[in-house]
Amino acid sequence: MSELALQHYLAVGAIMFVIGVIGFLTRRNLIVMFLCTELMFQGVAINLIAFGHYHNHLGGQAFVIFVLVIAAAEASLALGLVVLLFRQRATLDADAWRELKG
Amino acid sequence: MQDLWQIEYSFLIPLLPLIGACIAGFFGARLLKGQSHWPIWLGVGTSAVISITLLVAMLGQSHPADHVDASQGVAAAAEIGIGPARDSIEINLSATKNYFPWISIGNFNVNWGYFFDPLTAVMLCVVCGIGFFICVFAAGYMKGEAGYFRFFAYLGLFIFMMTNLVMGENLIMLYLGWEGVGLCSYLLIGYYYDKPAAREAAKKAFLVNRVGDFGFGVGIMLCYLAYGTVSYFGQGAGTNTGLLEMALNPNHEGSWALQYIPFLLMIGAFGKSAQFPLYVWLPDAMEGPTPVSALIHAATMVTAGVYMIARCSTLFLGNDAALWTIAIVGAFTAIFAASIALRQFDLKKVFAYSTVSQLGFMFVGVGVLAPVAGVFHLVTHAFFKALLFLGSGVVMHAMMGELDLRKMSGLKRQLPITRILMLIGCLALAGFPLTSGYWSKDEIVHSAQGRSLLLYVVLSVTAFLTAYYTFRLYFRVFEGPEVIPPAPVGGHGHGVHDAADAHAVASAAAVQTQTEHESGIDEHLATVKHQSAVAHDHGHGHGHHGDHNNEPMIMIIPLVVLAIGALFAGVLNLPTHTFGHKLGHFLGQSPSFSMGYFKAQQANGDVEAALAGAEGHAYIDPIPFGQPGESEFHLLPLIIGGAIAIAGILVAYLFHLQDRARAERLAAGMPGISRTLEAKYWVDEIYQAGIVEPLRSLARAFFLIDRFVVDGLVWAVSFVPMLSGFALKLTTQRGYLQGYAAVMLLGIAVTLMVIFL
Amino acid sequence: MGAGASAGAFVPSGSLAVAHLIMFGPSLEISAAALLSFAPLAPVAAAVLPPVLILVLCVVAGIGTVLLLPSRKEAALRKIGGAVILAAGLILVALLVRAAAGTGGMGVYFWIFAAIALLSALRVITHPKPVYSALYFVLTVFASAGLFVLLWAEFMAVALIIIYAGAILVTYVFVIMLAAEATPTSGPMAGLAEHDAISREPLMACVVGFALMGVLLFVIFEKADGAVGSATPQAAVVVVEGAPPPGSSAIHTFTPEGGVQELGAYLFSSQLVNLELAGLILTVAMIGAIVIARRRVVGTDAATHAIGGNETIVGPATPTDDDPHTIPVYGTENPRQKAYPET
Repeated sequence: MSELALQHYLAVGAIMFVIGVIGFLTRRNLIVMFLCTELMFQGVAINLIAFGHYHNHLGGQAFVIFVLVIAAAEASLALGLVVLLFRQRATLDADAWRELKG
Repeated sequence: MQDLWQIEYSFLIPLLPLIGACIAGFFGARLLKGQSHWPIWLGVGTSAVISITLLVAMLGQSHPADHVDASQGVAAAAEIGIGPARDSIEINLSATKNYFPWISIGNFNVNWGYFFDPLTAVMLCVVCGIGFFICVFAAGYMKGEAGYFRFFAYLGLFIFMMTNLVMGENLIMLYLGWEGVGLCSYLLIGYYYDKPAAREAAKKAFLVNRVGDFGFGVGIMLCYLAYGTVSYFGQGAGTNTGLLEMALNPNHEGSWALQYIPFLLMIGAFGKSAQFPLYVWLPDAMEGPTPVSALIHAATMVTAGVYMIARCSTLFLGNDAALWTIAIVGAFTAIFAASIALRQFDLKKVFAYSTVSQLGFMFVGVGVLAPVAGVFHLVTHAFFKALLFLGSGVVMHAMMGELDLRKMSGLKRQLPITRILMLIGCLALAGFPLTSGYWSKDEIVHSAQGRSLLLYVVLSVTAFLTAYYTFRLYFRVFEGPEVIPPAPVGGHGHGVHDAADAHAVASAAAVQTQTEHESGIDEHLATVKHQSAVAHDHGHGHGHHGDHNNEPMIMIIPLVVLAIGALFAGVLNLPTHTFGHKLGHFLGQSPSFSMGYFKAQQANGDVEAALAGAEGHAYIDPIPFGQPGESEFHLLPLIIGGAIAIAGILVAYLFHLQDRARAERLAAGMPGISRTLEAKYWVDEIYQAGIVEPLRSLARAFFLIDRFVVDGLVWAVSFVPMLSGFALKLTTQRGYLQGYAAVMLLGIAVTLMVIFL
Repeated sequence: MGAGASAGAFVPSGSLAVAHLIMFGPSLEISAAALLSFAPLAPVAAAVLPPVLILVLCVVAGIGTVLLLPSRKEAALRKIGGAVILAAGLILVALLVRAAAGTGGMGVYFWIFAAIALLSALRVITHPKPVYSALYFVLTVFASAGLFVLLWAEFMAVALIIIYAGAILVTYVFVIMLAAEATPTSGPMAGLAEHDAISREPLMACVVGFALMGVLLFVIFEKADGAVGSATPQAAVVVVEGAPPPGSSAIHTFTPEGGVQELGAYLFSSQLVNLELAGLILTVAMIGAIVIARRRVVGTDAATHAIGGNETIVGPATPTDDDPHTIPVYGTENPRQKAYPET
């Protein structure tokens, strides 16, 4: 079997990131939008792990830990906010909050 | 003399008043309140004691006057080891105490150090000694004022700055003190900051002083440029590295600057010491509390210019034009201000113009190369003018702010002690024979006579006018039928003419009094029955009738001390050969003066040639420089001087005591002159129209330019993004979060493409 | 290319995307040639899956994505999209099977995991129901964890599963359940909220996204190969003992006991402060989440009761005995309940 190069992993990460982007852009459900940001995190995490592996450096994994931490923190806070928003408008539609543009 | 303990601990002299000021300023409002004068009393009193012991110690180390002559000086100096033999400078009595390097930028090094010589010692005694008595007086005078602690904090700060000014060993220290006392003057003139006149006067004093200080600052820079140092004298024996020492050397590479430096320094002196073009702030400065007028605007700060010129005499020596300018400006100011004082009706205004006039005398003294005479007059003037101001303070205190001498008369029964003390002060100011003012004024007049007959005539006329207006005031206020002014309208009564405003201030003060000083209310009410209105300047309610003590001891005792000084300070420097010229000989050992004398010798070969005054700047009177030489008793000028003073007093008697209507008739007979004098030659109006208004118009023009051109441009520039932002907001900011994200990502994609493709 | 025809409204954008792809094709062929000629590792990989093929598959998948994204269109169209993507996936699987049949080894797992991860990620964003999205995301997480294992990051793989699939996703599902919206009960969009059923401008988003993807892939395969893929690992072999140089046979003899221990030692020595900071962030986030979420929940119907003067708060069975002086009331239109009490 062919040897796998760093590029393969990077490509997977990039594609996953872009899928997350597309989801973030198209979906209107707040929760799904956050899921899509998690997808982007995933793509980045794959990139970091791959870099760390191919550079023989643990920094990549350490960085992923921090990414996970941030993702967890973000998820907890964001979901709390989503719940609050839902209570206000009884909908998860991001467009319901358009007037926040000021 | 380096080993004197006073010099070792000289830092205490400025530091103690500063500490006192800090204590009064930081803890006065809450803790000390009415006792805020104590830290200042203690600080300034201790400084005064140190200063006086320093003076005594230096007197003890100075050599007896009759032993001094040019040849013996060197030996004497070498024998007692006072000061280095400064390159053939025979006599000096000086020491420098450096504490720490203050400013060090490249080659520009300034030490925080103090320089001691007889001039410093004398000035210190004047500043701290008289300052102490005025502080004592102020505790009585200012009692119950709102901001009592503030007043004393400022006073302490002032003494700190003034002692720095006279003790500094270089021009930068002098400048520090110079600006510092200017600041304190500003703060204290504006002490009654709720009074518009006081605010205006404070601003005026500050701004006019800036004009002078600009020149002074440039002069100091020029000194540094020319000589590479700002220290007066070099450190250590025989080093001619000081500014004043190098100025003596006509071959020094920096001597080109001597054409300009004196004029620049002179501008600063004119501003600080209220000489002709820049005198306008001093009369207005009387808006401050009376002790301030006495301390700052009569006794000490305004003499800083005289001190500075005396200290830097060697810089001025080589420049005849500068000396003539000083003398002429001084003489002109003297007669000019004296003439204005003739038709002033406000006690403090009269004394203010008198101060300007007397400062003119001192400038003539230093201008005709008789700095010792100038300093002598400075000392005596400090005594009697402080006495006069404090005396007017007592009058004002008793009359509750009223100072218009047309509204009062015959107060001798109300204020018996004050009347005697004021009489002493007036005699001294008038130059009545054997008072201190007589001796010092005569010495200046005599020195001027040797320089120019015109100066002599002008000064004599001024002396006559001085005697006249002084006793006009005295006869009006203290003699004649008793007239007590009705309830005053003045807030603090320092020549306030804005009645409505002053009334408001007084009412406010009264209200404040009743809330703050409840103990004073009874006293206050007792006063009210004598008066139709209750507005008065002193919250604690001193009436001028009946059972109230118009002359509290705390205010009288300092006056007595000053009166003694005013009477007998002349013995310091009697113009006699045998036991006179004590001050002259003492001051003559100051390097500033002895080097000036030496320079004159250099220029002329010997003392006699110098005395001949035949050519150029050669005129040097050894007596003013405190040097041995011709010191015979000039009897005739003394008699003439006394006669002039007595004549002035007599005229005042005729017009203002014997028949007061006569004065009115005289004034009515010369309406033009009278009005001109009352309007103070319209100088303020001329300044207003000639300087202030054009500047204001210019500022207005700039304001319009700024408003319409600059702001318009800025507005136009800002309008473009504003408009485009508004358009973008309407078209693109639609609130779709994902739309923003899409644009952002598109931007990232495009950026990456641009970078990598 | 069919996308442009089918979605008439987006023809300009679609054709732009097509032009973009046409532009990209040759350049990636060049890149393949460059890989063939220069990179010692690349030729084999390029032989398995030429980048052009990857790109074409991606484009096909992109078109499928556009079609597959929830929209108002008939289900048939979305089925076409699904078929397209499925076709692309089948092609991929076939290629993989062929490659695996040739040599075997770890490479196969990469392709399998990558395919699962990407397809399920695609499904995350295309499934109209959030719950399914979340579950597909779990699948993505598992596939990513598999990739992590391939990269010898077994600790991270387990952590990913525990944290993401075990914790975060559970929270998501909870919230999805909690925030149940009113949905139509019948019709083509039964059980779907309007904003779930209809996505916003899918073509535009796909154009932007695939433009970005194209750039990224180009950069990854064209610009970065020499620098990262080949040069650095050899140097790393010399430096770090026990760590496998990628692509070498040492990968099989790598002693895995170094992984977790090394990571732990690294984290608690070099990254100690950062680790503590991460813990702090988690704590703060937890407190914040509690503050945000622990409100007194008031039913939306409470407003009608309260405005009439009745102070009784009607709401679900969440705590209502919190101190009213400190806890504001959200979720009601009654201004008296919104404000902080005066006392």
